[in-house]
Amino acid sequence: MLFGMLALLSAASVVLAAAVGSVNLGWETWWQALTDPGSEYGELVWRLRLPRAAAAWTVGALLSLSGCLMQVLLRNPLADPYILGVSGGASFAALLGMTTGLSATALPGLAWAGALASIVLVFSLSRGEGPWSGTRLLLTGVVTASGWAALISLLLTLGPDGSLRGMLFWLVGDLSYTRLPGWAVALLVLVFAVCMGMARSLNVLAMGETTARLLGEPTRKVLWGVYLLASVLTAAAVSIAGNIGFVGLIVPHLMRLVVGSDHRVLFPAAALFGGLFLVLSDTLARTVLAPRQLPVGVVTALLGVPLFLLLLNRARVRQ
Amino acid sequence: MSLLRSENLHVRIGGIRVVENLDLAVGPGEFWGLLGPNGIGKTTLLKCLAGLDEPAAGQVLLGDQPIDTLPRKLLARHLGMLQQHTVYVFDSSVIQTALTGRHPHLGYWEREGPHDVEKAQGALAAVDLEGFAGRSVTGLSGGEARRLAFATLLVQEPDLMLLDEPTNHLDLRHQLRIMRMIRAHAGDANRSALCALHDVNLAARYCSHVLMLFGDGQWCAGPCGDMLNENSLERLYDCPVERLESATGPRFHPLGG
Repeated sequence: MLFGMLALLSAASVVLAAAVGSVNLGWETWWQALTDPGSEYGELVWRLRLPRAAAAWTVGALLSLSGCLMQVLLRNPLADPYILGVSGGASFAALLGMTTGLSATALPGLAWAGALASIVLVFSLSRGEGPWSGTRLLLTGVVTASGWAALISLLLTLGPDGSLRGMLFWLVGDLSYTRLPGWAVALLVLVFAVCMGMARSLNVLAMGETTARLLGEPTRKVLWGVYLLASVLTAAAVSIAGNIGFVGLIVPHLMRLVVGSDHRVLFPAAALFGGLFLVLSDTLARTVLAPRQLPVGVVTALLGVPLFLLLLNRARVRQ
Repeated sequence: MSLLRSENLHVRIGGIRVVENLDLAVGPGEFWGLLGPNGIGKTTLLKCLAGLDEPAAGQVLLGDQPIDTLPRKLLARHLGMLQQHTVYVFDSSVIQTALTGRHPHLGYWEREGPHDVEKAQGALAAVDLEGFAGRSVTGLSGGEARRLAFATLLVQEPDLMLLDEPTNHLDLRHQLRIMRMIRAHAGDANRSALCALHDVNLAARYCSHVLMLFGDGQWCAGPCGDMLNENSLERLYDCPVERLESATGPRFHPLGG
């Protein structure tokens, strides 16, 4: 029921995203463009707006799933996909590419490489022997993320002025030149299926590592699996759209309030709502100051911060 | 055959010797009390017996299988443990939490069936949490959270229950109720329980056997009637104790103060 509604709203948001923008189409021209790609605005809708909306939806879903996983991994409802340095590694590599004047098409590949390097670094530094330690992972990840942040500042200071704007857009998160790669959709579907298979295990893990072991989970193995899944989802999202903030924090949190903490319900709800949220944010980013375009990360943050503070306040009142 | 055995078990924590050469055999139908002063290592020993921590030497056997060779999922169908503290970070409903006890019995993609829900509802009723099913776990009082954790253990239906101070936070009525339920569980032909306790009189009243930890790796174990007396308890707690007779058996009363 809820899923049906969210799916319907998602579809509606993509269609809406195709209709509005710097050129506002009336319903008739819009319908014409949608049904006939060869018409006057057909190209605008089919080549520009729909692919961008599809990319926004996919990135939103990737980040939201990743956020759900991170929160269980670190057993903290305030954890977000970027906390362990994946996005830092991706950003550093992408910015390095911009500084050295590589073409924009090379950036996603570079970002992937940077993200993977960061994942492997944090994994091998915090793995160690003995039982699972969430604190060790968190500290290693947070310190690695700070390291990347320092390197990024260095690049921003030393980089040529001409590339600063592009760098800034990357760091805030932007969907302007985004094309949705097929592998990202395949990854989303695949990881979603794995998540649903693991959902009951994650419910148990959310109750604590020892409790989960006593209820039959080989926690060390499962938690490292969760770390890798969450990291790969984040790497994919960041390599497509840069560091879009708040989606991976707000959406899982909001959905926990709406549907509860059962991951069998939370995963689909978060994926659908995350996609919807980012499509709407990106549509706003394109239209608020049209024809100027804002990086979508500014909109998600501007929507996300007050929403988050509101939720936090509500949670405190309830307790 | 005993459900849980330890052979030549040495357990240490941070340089402290908890037990040395412990040869314990918890047989079917037995309800063991684990007694010892604060910080002596009762929780550490329980964790070791549950296969959560590695012993310094020796081994723990469930049935005749060394516990560290059993996959956790299989182990969880036979051995369950109530931890000393339960902290709920993520909000969930009381019934959902009780249902996690079914986790080791369900397959990868399997959902809880009506049968599982019935078990969870039965366990909630048994610990006086009827009508709490839809409540949020983060809003429970200390005693209610404790009873929910015990209900989850009941839902897990392990043959062997290990319990770390199950009566913490409970009022008198619920203390007796939980002890009665553990005794009923252990009274079954193929089941047993081992329970860390601070209340000697609960042990005297409900347990069939006790294991006492004296520190420095020293221990003694045996049937309650043989083990619990003024001398052993004075040595255990470093506090003089007087024995009184009551309608429900001997009671021990601390002297001095």
